[in-house]
Amino acid sequence: MPHVIAQTPRMAQCGRHSGLPAEKKISLGVTRVIVKTPGKQEDFVIASDTSVRQFKEKLSAHFKCQMDQLVLVFMGCLLKDHDVLSQRGILDGHTIHVVIKSKNGSRSLAHPWHQDKNTKGNSSGVYQSAGMTPVESALSEDVPKVHTQGLKVGSPEHVAQTLENPSIQQLLSNTDFMRQFISEHLDTQHSMQQNPEVSHILDNSEILWQTLELARNLAVIQEIMQIQQPAQNIESPPNPQSYVGLETVPGWDNASGQSSADFNDQMLNNTQDAFGGNIFTALLGGQVPEQVQFSFPSPPPSQEQQEHLPQPPTARVIYASSRGVSSISSASSTPSMANHTSRASTSNSTNGQSHACAVEQPIGIPALPGRELNQLPQAEGKDATISLDSSNQKPDDLQQSNEQTSSQITGNMMQLLLNNPSLAAQMMMFMSVPQLSEQWRQQLPAFLQQTQFSDILIALANPKASQAILQIEQSLQLLATEAPVLLPWVAPYLWGLGWLPAPSCSYPDTVPWTWDVSNMAEPKGPESCPKSRTVLQRLQSLAGDPSHPLQAPETRFSKQMEYLQAMGFANHHANLQALIATEGDTSAAIQKLRRSQGS
Amino acid sequence: MEPPNLYPVKLYVYDLSKGLARRLSPIMLGKQLEGIWHTSIVVHKDEFFFGSGGISSCPPGRTLLGPPDSVVDVGSTEVTEEIFLEYLSSLGESLFRSEAYNIFENNCNTFSNEVAQFLTGRKIPSYITDLPSEILSTPFGQALRPFLDSIAIQPPGGSPVGRPNGQS
Repeated sequence: MPHVIAQTPRMAQCGRHSGLPAEKKISLGVTRVIVKTPGKQEDFVIASDTSVRQFKEKLSAHFKCQMDQLVLVFMGCLLKDHDVLSQRGILDGHTIHVVIKSKNGSRSLAHPWHQDKNTKGNSSGVYQSAGMTPVESALSEDVPKVHTQGLKVGSPEHVAQTLENPSIQQLLSNTDFMRQFISEHLDTQHSMQQNPEVSHILDNSEILWQTLELARNLAVIQEIMQIQQPAQNIESPPNPQSYVGLETVPGWDNASGQSSADFNDQMLNNTQDAFGGNIFTALLGGQVPEQVQFSFPSPPPSQEQQEHLPQPPTARVIYASSRGVSSISSASSTPSMANHTSRASTSNSTNGQSHACAVEQPIGIPALPGRELNQLPQAEGKDATISLDSSNQKPDDLQQSNEQTSSQITGNMMQLLLNNPSLAAQMMMFMSVPQLSEQWRQQLPAFLQQTQFSDILIALANPKASQAILQIEQSLQLLATEAPVLLPWVAPYLWGLGWLPAPSCSYPDTVPWTWDVSNMAEPKGPESCPKSRTVLQRLQSLAGDPSHPLQAPETRFSKQMEYLQAMGFANHHANLQALIATEGDTSAAIQKLRRSQGS
Repeated sequence: MEPPNLYPVKLYVYDLSKGLARRLSPIMLGKQLEGIWHTSIVVHKDEFFFGSGGISSCPPGRTLLGPPDSVVDVGSTEVTEEIFLEYLSSLGESLFRSEAYNIFENNCNTFSNEVAQFLTGRKIPSYITDLPSEILSTPFGQALRPFLDSIAIQPPGGSPVGRPNGQS
């Protein structure tokens, strides 16, 4: 009699080979089958001519259930008791699926489908404790969509609207509510369990308040970074709000000190240089200030590098935003188009990026779904580590932390792109006119400093306005395609807008002007971007070109800088810019500086 | 003996990036990805998928993702709806609990693969199941990994599948 053996190395008795076809590879009459139950998988060795019924007997003993609870499925076929395994084609190594039915009878799926039923139930529970009735209804309607886990495809506009909703803004102002909300959010609780230090942060109302301040005042972030800058070429006076912002950040002075000064110096000085290299940094940068809004609701999940959490969190918050912004560079740089070290691109940060984002698609920015909430805190945690530790600015630490932080932010950007295909389309168009976008990006910091950041946001929130910009982009593209020779004619208009710098800025290590004009022969529709892919691939290959050993422009041009300063050009920032534009040609830089000073 | 009923099994494939991955992946990752795939199994006139909220089901094509970008015919199965729901319930308590969701290791496509094999013995196309390793094999993916690990995808529009009576 054949025996059914389970999970033992013992071989079955040399079995009965009766009537087995030759093509079935059976050794000594046994078959090793894999029995898969939901979640588990086991090997069974059985005799080849076992019937299903016998197999079920064995299985029921093994799984401790009754035989009629067992359902065997092989290749989609239900195995009946009277079948013989081998006859069903079950050979060595095949998998049989086993379902153990529950003791009750059949169940069926619950209809109808309630989409928001669960989310509403959960979130309204959270908000009830807030006791803000008028807002509650707005929240329970709007915010569940924001806080539903993960990727919500197709509702970025909704999220954007939600967040621009004044009631939401009001909520953000209500510290008590925010604290409660934050601590009751499931994600928060998760992270708190994983990371007890996090609760310190959340309990500190000061931090919360400052974060909310920041959230409401995105320009503060930008201005803070510039505050440290000794020489500024901004025409308009620094935003007085920035001082307020600084004052409201206790501990800023303590923590900032050396590191921030060095850091900011480098940053702004290198803005022009590093910024041009990477379109994504532009977008990413802008994202981060926005994200600070939502960062604290989900405190940093445990990260390997969060050793230094207890350090002053306030500085961390500010730094996080700025640093996070700046550190985008490395991630974006690393994979694609960097022509600079991560350090240089670190400086890439803030200004240009936040501006860039504003110009690009502010509506898209708030449209990050709830899961993004987690991300910036990670950035913050790391950023704090970086900023507070690296007053010496050890390159390796910085780079590594930068990369990790920026990776998160790049990820955010990807999310943003995923959610907002029109934004990506716009980006694509920009990228396909690289010389314009290069110069535009360079000019962006100056351009946007001249106007209020928030004004830009509001202006671009107007869909018609963004449409108009889109049209401008498209027309520029068309021009570039059809009549590149006309582009210089257009340039004066763009100068007036501040989009193109008046003197020409050459960027030899990214995209040569002539190269691209010749490639724009093919007609190009706004949506499909076959050419842009070429452009992007080229950019990528350029980025990957190892023949660009990059240092911070500051170091590269240090000699020239000294020379310029000796000549009497005291504006450090302007000097650097001129040098960058002329690639270190001192005399040309002097001419540039004279021109700009004289005008 | 009456012939067993055969129920068709389909795989609905959605590109979560809506074409962006195809455009941007060369730059960002250095390799060409055709899409960020989300899949679900459609059988017995219902669509089943796994997300961070656990196993969910809905009428076919009725998640917020809209209609699928492509439909793959997996085969046919004799497994009845009853047995299938039992199976899903036990999956939902073991391998595919909602907290077991991991965007790389145990995602919607893992689930679809598992279910497809249960129903028909066949696996889903490898370009879908290879996606995580494709991404993680790029430096960009590696850099993003901590961030991506915390992402959970849950297409809205489904309702959970489970044992209502809580018995086993």
